[in-house]
Amino acid sequence: MISYLIRRILQLVPVLLVASVAIWAMLYAVPGGPVAMIVGQDASQEQIDAATRELGLDRPLIVQYADWVGNAVSGDLGKSIFSKEPVVKLIGQRLPATIQLAVFSLLIALIISIPIAIISALNPGTWIDRVLSSWSALALAVPTFWLGILLVLLFAVELRWLPSASRYIPFWTAPLDAMRNTFLPALTLGVYVSGILARFLRASLVGELRSDYVRTARSKGLPERQIVGGHIMRNALIPFVTIVGLMLANFLGGSVVTEVVFTYPGLGRLLVQAISTRDYPLIQGIILVIIVIFMLINLAVDMLYAYIDPRIEHK
Amino acid sequence: MRKSFQSAAKTIRNLMSRKGVVFSVIFLGALSFLAIFADILGFDYLTQNLIESLQPPSAEYWFGTDELGRDILSRVVYGTRTSLVTSAGAVTIAAVLGVPIGLVAGFFGGWRDAVLMRVVDVMLALPAILFAMALIAILGKGQMAAMIAVGITGIPSFARITRAQVLSLRNRDFVTAVEAFGGSATYSMFRTILPNSWSPIVVQAIVLASVAILLEAALSFLGMGVAPPTPSWGEMLRTGKSYLYEAPYYAVLPGIILTLTILSFDTIGRAMTDFLEGRHELGDHSSVDAESEK
Repeated sequence: MISYLIRRILQLVPVLLVASVAIWAMLYAVPGGPVAMIVGQDASQEQIDAATRELGLDRPLIVQYADWVGNAVSGDLGKSIFSKEPVVKLIGQRLPATIQLAVFSLLIALIISIPIAIISALNPGTWIDRVLSSWSALALAVPTFWLGILLVLLFAVELRWLPSASRYIPFWTAPLDAMRNTFLPALTLGVYVSGILARFLRASLVGELRSDYVRTARSKGLPERQIVGGHIMRNALIPFVTIVGLMLANFLGGSVVTEVVFTYPGLGRLLVQAISTRDYPLIQGIILVIIVIFMLINLAVDMLYAYIDPRIEHK
Repeated sequence: MRKSFQSAAKTIRNLMSRKGVVFSVIFLGALSFLAIFADILGFDYLTQNLIESLQPPSAEYWFGTDELGRDILSRVVYGTRTSLVTSAGAVTIAAVLGVPIGLVAGFFGGWRDAVLMRVVDVMLALPAILFAMALIAILGKGQMAAMIAVGITGIPSFARITRAQVLSLRNRDFVTAVEAFGGSATYSMFRTILPNSWSPIVVQAIVLASVAILLEAALSFLGMGVAPPTPSWGEMLRTGKSYLYEAPYYAVLPGIILTLTILSFDTIGRAMTDFLEGRHELGDHSSVDAESEK
């Protein structure tokens, strides 16, 4: 297990290396480069020279990169141009909101998708299967931002049950208020993911249903409930865990648009603001953090997978 | 030639035996017709009429009017142009860059394969929308930037599908024969392997079109894509969201057209994928198995 873990971590190194170079180089790809970003487009030559020296841009590129990576590793992602606050602090303020949203969305997605998948897998080709499978197609085709708008129209504008703009309230401080505020964005994201999860789980359930051990179990006269609950689910859940893990990482992407729809103060909306104000240190910091989280989740999923199915380690 | 024409006709007949595909083709056909002939058909998306701003749907304004009194239906029709042109451009960029990457990686293998595929892995390390946003941070906002950004996010899928196709053809007799007769690597790749790889690449292009339309709309919704006064669906939803109380239809109707367009491309793409993989008998959701194998 340990050697597998080390091997997987070593595989991440080149990807992280290329990604960090790409993110670092972003500054230099911007018109005018990093200096223009600080002093503006129409600065005098003296100002440009001073800023170049101050930022250390007269040093060799490789030194500048090493410097940037060194700072990033020690937790210093620079200061936001716009608010002058450290990037790490700004990200730290927003990250919990996005994580809470992701967890709520995942719960909703599981609650919707698991029953749909089981019912349609047990009745393949029937009308109920077709109806439930259309749910998946629809859930995937409806753009999240439009679904969010529709939910606001229904629950906030028409019924007035829930707020149209969602604030972040940590769950442990006020559970009910937190749920009121997170429910609509979480439902928006959850519906989309439920489409993917239901499709996937249905396919792996159908695959399991055709296998030999199910035929044996049936011929033994085991009740259908026990076959599905005890045998099939256990096997079908293994690949499902992977997909759920990958979805958790994908919430980071989907949450950008959803957070904007509901003006929810998460990491995604911070990124949108950073791009609008051309706040490059902040943009770099957020993207780096998201890539690292993405990789850690993937790593965790792989480890979990190897734990559930020990054959993986030896591949 | 005649044979390929017959097989193409047979493919189309088979695809059209699915109701979803027929609806999708009709919907996209009608939408394209309106978008292409919008000028002749008398759609006017620019004229402002402040007295009649935010009017609900009526006989005169089928989709109502926006905050400047412009006809929303006309803007949806012209928005179709923006959406289809941007996504077609994006898919083209993705194919033109992604297919050669896949060809070279699959054909040569070795370090070229390793390097190219690592780069592709990095591109997949970020969800597409975040990747596109990062690119827009560099390129600046606008329709062209959105097209390029969405196009670049599509490179990995073309690279992977082409690479897989090359690997399956690499050691076939007709490829070996070309090499034995002294054909160059370029000739083998572009004149021998590529012509036999078009079907999955075309299918991928259609699947990607639905993704590109969604991404473009999302970027415009975030205010990073097409800028006003050019009409785009994403931008209309962005503005419509500010008038949910006064004019709920504003953000609803363009969204329906957007969703149907994405659904149509996706339906056609899925049906073609099923067909390519020889599963046109199994029903609509059989392509899920393919997804789980990826």
